[in-house]
Amino acid sequence: MQTKKNYILFLTLITSLLFSCSPKNISTKYYYENEKMLDRIEESYKALYLQGPFNVGFTDRDFKTFSLEIITDTLSYVYEFDIDEPRLKDTLTAYKRNAAKISTLIKQMHDIRCTWINYSHYYVDEKKQTLILMSIKPVALKRLFSYSKYYVLTYFAQPQYFDSEGRLLDKRKMRQLRKINGDVFKRINNKVCYAITGHFR
Amino acid sequence: MDLKDFVRKLIFNPVILMWCLCVCTPAFVKAKDLNNNIADFPVTSTQQQAIAYIEKIKELKSSAYWPNIKPVLFLKNLKTNIHNPVSIYPGKGTNFCGYGALTYLFLQDDPLGYATLLMQLYLDGKATFRNILFNPSPAVKLEAGLLKYKGLLDINPAEQMWFLTLAGHYKGYINIFNREYDAGDEDRFWASVNYAKFNRMTRELLNYNSKARGADLVRPKVGNLYNYISEKIKTGTVVLFINNRIVYKKNHVKIKLGVPTHFIVAEKISIQDDVITFIYWDYGRKTQLQVSTAFFKRIVFGITWFTKKETDAN
Repeated sequence: MQTKKNYILFLTLITSLLFSCSPKNISTKYYYENEKMLDRIEESYKALYLQGPFNVGFTDRDFKTFSLEIITDTLSYVYEFDIDEPRLKDTLTAYKRNAAKISTLIKQMHDIRCTWINYSHYYVDEKKQTLILMSIKPVALKRLFSYSKYYVLTYFAQPQYFDSEGRLLDKRKMRQLRKINGDVFKRINNKVCYAITGHFR
Repeated sequence: MDLKDFVRKLIFNPVILMWCLCVCTPAFVKAKDLNNNIADFPVTSTQQQAIAYIEKIKELKSSAYWPNIKPVLFLKNLKTNIHNPVSIYPGKGTNFCGYGALTYLFLQDDPLGYATLLMQLYLDGKATFRNILFNPSPAVKLEAGLLKYKGLLDINPAEQMWFLTLAGHYKGYINIFNREYDAGDEDRFWASVNYAKFNRMTRELLNYNSKARGADLVRPKVGNLYNYISEKIKTGTVVLFINNRIVYKKNHVKIKLGVPTHFIVAEKISIQDDVITFIYWDYGRKTQLQVSTAFFKRIVFGITWFTKKETDAN
């Protein structure tokens, strides 16, 4: 009898551990728990991008190295830096970018474990639309069975359409799901959606 | 044969077309000494010849063969590609990068050939170029114009038509288990390009001599990789088959398959203190990347070097 109890207890423990760090659990809470910081990063990136396009993302698991892509009319320049590396400022200044504000943005991304942020384009009725894509590697998604998962947020410029299950739709009249980088996204609010994916960009 | 067919055949006759264009438009390309820029090498036809041809087409009717291609978008796409070959965009998440690199070279060397081939394909549903008959399957014809969520490719039906046609026509060992097009196959093995297939496509379609070093799973043995590539860039056009997964990481998984997946067109290369600065074309833009020589060696699996067979433009 005691053995059976221990067995049930063991199974319950394993099951609760698995579900406590499952992507489903984190996706419902994460945005609202970190809303202010996430929105601040998005707003800051949007403002800085308009001054001069760039993408940034952390390329290692320890968040020590990041890749910076500076986009000009003729060429995209890809550089890799260690966090706090002095030559970052020189590089950004050379491309006439706001070194102080971009450094702050990278620091904020580091603190919240944001792996990637970029502007992405998509087309509706042949018209170009933009969204900001932000990937986060929350601590809970670092655990066993979820180590390769990312929490990806999309910030749209306009309110979007969703089906009854909260899945992002292509257009209001077309009941087709819109995919971004091959993934279906779910509603957080009219303009912000999320997905749990195996890739951060 | 009615008058319409006669005129169409006349337009697509390359000898008559070349003669007309040579008389009507000056040949601008001169064999200048160059700065590692592929646009400066001699070409089969000139951009001006292609522009003269395409700008004469003011309006295009819907094609019975390509029911989902909007003619206005098709013509706009074709004109954009001819005016600005850098803009060729194989699409987000697709396996079209090999066809994209091939098309970029095609547009550099023979833009008029590209324009007439795509127009013939659009109007007749099939086309012949350098004795190759492209006769796309009904599934491909139905899909072109419908690809979605691929970024700029969504609104570029000429590229959709061309890439789907190429993927349907050319098959390598990598396509062995997926040979017929089904919806979504542009992202799957149906569209994949292995190194030998890429080289075969370029040999058949481009007016170049080519020399390939490397393989799908084995890195090229060329001695000093930097020296080899920089020498080849000086005298021709170089395409590299690289492992893009470690250049542009999409996740933080430590163990990644060491296989190449991506074709890029090398534009410039230089070295300083063991750091290689490298400019290349892919996905509708040019990128400058700085990597160590060791990393560069890790990513390069294939080097194809193209030199001109002959200069036709002059």
